Parts: sequence; structure tokens; C-alpha cells
Amino acid sequence: MADVIFIGLSLSSILLLIALGLTITYGAMGVINMAHGELVMIGAYTAVMSGIYLGANLFVALPLAFIVAAGLGLLIERLVIRHLYGRILDTLLATWGIAILLQQAIRLEFGLTFFDINIEGLGPGLQNVAIPSFLNQPWMIGDFTVQPYRSFIILLTLALTAVTWFLLYRTSLGVQVRAIMRNPDMAAACGIDVKRVSAYTFAYGSGLAGVAGVMLAGFKTVSPDMGSSLVVEGFLVVVVGGVGSLLGTVASAGLLGQVNGLFATWTNDILASAVVFGLVILIIMWRPQGLFSFKGR
Amino acid sequence: MSAILTNQRLLEGFAYGLFIVIILAMPAFMDEFWLNRIAKYLVFGMLGLAIALSWGYAGVLNLGQGLFFGIGAYMVAMSLKLQSFTSLQQGSDKPVPDFMLWNAEPGAPTELCCINQGSFLWIPFQEQWFGVAMAVVVPTLIAYFIGSAIFRLRISGVYVAIITLALVLLVRLLIIDAQPVTNGFNGLTDLGWLTIGGFEFDPYLVETYYLVAGSLVVVLLGARWLVATRAGLILQATRDDPNRARYLGYNVAAYQVFFFTVSAAIAGFAGMLYVLASEFASPTFMDLAFSISMVVWAAVGGRNSLLGACIGAILINTIEATASETELLQEAWKAIIGLIFVLVVLFMPRGLAGLMQDLVAFLAGRQRSKRRADEKPGVAVQEAGE
Repeated sequence: MADVIFIGLSLSSILLLIALGLTITYGAMGVINMAHGELVMIGAYTAVMSGIYLGANLFVALPLAFIVAAGLGLLIERLVIRHLYGRILDTLLATWGIAILLQQAIRLEFGLTFFDINIEGLGPGLQNVAIPSFLNQPWMIGDFTVQPYRSFIILLTLALTAVTWFLLYRTSLGVQVRAIMRNPDMAAACGIDVKRVSAYTFAYGSGLAGVAGVMLAGFKTVSPDMGSSLVVEGFLVVVVGGVGSLLGTVASAGLLGQVNGLFATWTNDILASAVVFGLVILIIMWRPQGLFSFKGR
Repeated sequence: MSAILTNQRLLEGFAYGLFIVIILAMPAFMDEFWLNRIAKYLVFGMLGLAIALSWGYAGVLNLGQGLFFGIGAYMVAMSLKLQSFTSLQQGSDKPVPDFMLWNAEPGAPTELCCINQGSFLWIPFQEQWFGVAMAVVVPTLIAYFIGSAIFRLRISGVYVAIITLALVLLVRLLIIDAQPVTNGFNGLTDLGWLTIGGFEFDPYLVETYYLVAGSLVVVLLGARWLVATRAGLILQATRDDPNRARYLGYNVAAYQVFFFTVSAAIAGFAGMLYVLASEFASPTFMDLAFSISMVVWAAVGGRNSLLGACIGAILINTIEATASETELLQEAWKAIIGLIFVLVVLFMPRGLAGLMQDLVAFLAGRQRSKRRADEKPGVAVQEAGE
């Protein structure tokens, strides 16, 4: 039983890792960022590249990936998202286009393949990232095998959630973000620089995606299209949890991850995912505003 | 103002006429290979139209249109599979799909009734008309039940999109998981041809092209008629302000359910035609990417215009095909498509159709101000500047 719960917990933590960035970009800014999965993918490639060129391990890649993904997020916000605030379904379509562009950029090595220049670590092929050996040795507590890498992911996710909570609820920037979340016009009227804060918020959410990518790179093959399926799962977690509610996102990631883990052990992975989709549909029909949601306006 | 309206009407009639003439004249200019391709793109055009009907006119963004397309495709593919050569030659006098035999347990009877647990579902599909009918009936029924549940709960906007999205992914997984009945990931291939009155619709025949093109014309004109009816007008009212329509006494949910269902039926029909032209059905029809692509086609063509969305779908697919076969662009074509999506959403939110309308309005406005200028110089300049 402990095994099943641990599997569920580790699935939950990955869901949460991906959803954490989305809960900020979607919850705070009303942007359905379909390129979020691709930002995760960029994070994973940062881990690959820093391994190849800097000889660095995952721990060095974590902050690097945050910076790379956040920078990219800032760029996307400036160029595209900024012009689409308030048109939520258009953000979905435009970021879908961005997602395709990012995938192709990696696949074509930023277009350099046209000049026959190949960058090691990029391109359409599969990449692997080695995890530090001390995170590779399972150890036992009684009968229960602890997977150190999975545990590390869970801990890191908890830490990131705590940091995000602190930023949102204990800093002045967080107050501004939450004000924009509830009513951007009033926030602007109160003297908050909505554009600047929104840009930073988007960059932070993107940075979290980058970190998630590094962690995923540790146990998944890295490929240009690894991100496309992640965004839907992350997005469903956010909606089920309640838009803009950090607690809701944590709770729904926990719920969906455990349900997935349980059904995966009873039946198979495919049916387990199907059950999760079914559960999500029922929850959204029952409570479109999500499990935890603040009373808006 | 009225001059502009008349002009818009004229333009619309002209555009519809031109489009229909062009697609019907296509066989005069193309060989069988290209005709078959164009037939597939026309099917995608039908999908774009279905999206515009629910998104542009009802304000309901269905991100799971692939569900209805996929089910329509599977229904007819099951019938055609049983008619294919490979199914008839499996050592039994009754047709059995080859993949069922490959996976059958030793000693299992080679009949649809009991070769595996779910194979009995295939029995009625031995009649071709059954598969063809189900290709429209099943999507319609599913859409009716889903639509009723969603719209009676007054779920709207982005939540409809999320529910339909989760639904298509759910069904996709179920189809993949039901491998013994659906052939899982591989889908249904090696299909026979649709036969009507002894005539076999070989996908590379001109007749098959005309079947697809004719269907598109009928669906296009039917949908155009539908949105101009009273029901269509009320629907647009519910899109613009559901509460107002509700207080005026209209049953908003009923109209939304009706158009959602019509849109799904068109998608199912399109799925059926696609199988006729492409000779396969697979779970990729229910991929997230495909369902979102349809929406983007409609956005590029013009989400508020049935014809625009239809042309958008055909255009994007033609560009994709040509770019992916041009040697220089072979690698980059996807990036080009992605760029088009971003640019259209940013700079042309009303799509190609909106561009055309603006153009006509601009020309009409200029003509009008020119006429005025001839009569009363001075006033027109002011007006044109507005």
C-alpha cells in the first residue's frame, strides 16, 4: 500500500511541478499558455546542454533552466501575450503557434541545420540526462524502498510551492499580483504597473516550467515533443483546483496523481489516464470554478 | 451604411458562388493523385465550417471536435473493413478483420460473434449502410447528451473548451485500450471501398471527388441557410449576451444544444468522407493537436464566417502539403505554420474573411465618398476621415 501511495505522490509532484507555473500564468493572468509544455521541454534541454558543455550536473542546471525559461517567457509575453490580455481563447491559439515554433526551433537547432551546422544535444533525436549517483541508490526503510530521485522531486516541488506561496502572500510584489488577479483595472487605478508586474509574473511561471523540465529530464527521455502532452495535464490540474488558488492546485495535483497511481496499479496506465480525464470532466461539470476558489469581484 | 450592407451581401453571394464553381471545376485541372488530396482538404474544410458554426455563431469553442470526426471515421471504417479483401479471406465464409485473427486465442471460433469478447459489436457493421448511418447518428447522439449536460448547467466559455478537450482525450485512450476491438494504436487500415448500387468509390476516382465536393457544397449551403433562419439569429443573440436572451424568454440551452449537435453531426459526416478518401481510421484523429488545428484553421479563415473557415482549412492544408514537399522548406514548414498561427491571432483576429470584408467596406466607402465629393465638395473629406 505504501508503494502505491508513493507512486501516486510522485505522480502528484510532477503534476504539481508543471501546474505550479500554469496556476500563475492562467490564474493570475488569464492566459492559457499552450507553450508551457514547450517551456518544460526547453528546461530539459538546458539540463542536456549544461551537461554536455559545462559538465554540470542537475543541481547546476536547475537555476540555469529557470533563467533560460523565464527569459524566454518574458520574450513571449513582450512579443505576443501582451497584446492578447482579455482574449483568453486567442491566447490559447497564439501560444499553440508558439509551441510549434519552439518545438521546431529545437528540432532544427535554431535553424542552423540549413547551414549544415549541428549542435550537439539539440536536433530531432532523443537525449538522456544522467542523474547524480547518490540520487540513484534506492534505500530501505523497513520493507519500504525509497526511490531517492522521486523523493528529491517531491521535496523540490514542496520547496518551490513554499517559495511561490511566500512570493504571492508575503511580498509586496505578490500583493500586486493578487490585486491584478482579482481586477486588473482596479489594480491599475491603484497605481500598480500592471504591464510590468504581469510580465514578471509570466516570466516566473515560465521559469517554474523550466525547473520542471530539468526534473523530468532525470527520468524521461528528452525529445522536442516531450512537452505537448504535459500542458493538458497541468492545465486540468489548475482548473480542477480552482483558478488562481495555490492551495487548490496542490490539492488537485494530489488528488489526480493518487487516482492515477491507484488505477494504474489496478488496471493499466492507459485506463488510469482515462479515469483521470473522466474525473476531471465530472468535477468541472459539478464545480466549474474549481474545488477551491476565491469569491471574485 | 446600407450601401456597405448590400455590398457585403453581394460579396458573400459572389464568394460562395465562386468557391462552389472552383471546387466543382477542380477535376478539369488535376490528376487523380491531387484530386484525392484536394478531396481530403475539402473534408478538412467541412471541419473548419463545423467549428465556425459552433464557435463563431454559438460562441461555443469545442476543442474536442476530433471526437465526433474520429467516431464518424471509425463507424464507417468498421463497415469498410469487413468488406475488404483481407477480411473476407480469413478461412471463414463470414468476414473477420485480420487483426482480430492475429490476436485471437488459439482455438477461438473465427466468427465475429465470439472471436473475442468485444467482437460482437462488429456484427451489425456487416451491412454497409449501418456503418454509414452510424457515422452521423452516433456523433449526433453523443453531442446531444454532452451538450444537454453542459449547457443546461450553464457552463460556458473556456470551461466548455476544457470539458470537450478532456472528453476527446478520454475517448482516444479508451479506443487505444480496447485493442481487440479497435486495433488500438494502429487503427483500421486495409479498408474496402464504399459501394452504392454496385458502383465502387475508389478513392482515386473523379466520382469520389465529386461525392466529397458535392457533400461539402450541400453542407455549406445548408449551414449558411441554418444561420440565417430565426433559430440562427436567436443563437447569435445568445452568443452576444446569454442573459439578455434568457430574459427575453428564449431557452438559451436548447439553441446551444441544437447547434452544438449540428456541428458534431457535420464533423461525424466529415469523418466518414475522410475515410472514403484516405482509406484508414486511427486514434490520431482524436489527438489533441488535430482538434486544436481545426480551431486554428477556422481562426485563420475567419471564425465568424462559414465559408471563410472552410477556405482557411483548405488553404492551410494546401500550404502545409506544398511546403512539406518543397525541398528547401521540408524541415521548416511546421515552423512556418506555427508562425502563421501567431501572426493571424495577433494581427488578423477576424481572419481572411474579416480582411475581405474590410477591403470591400473600404472600397465601398471610398466610392461613396467620391460620389459625395462630386456633389458637395468639402463635406466628404470630413466623413472619409472619420
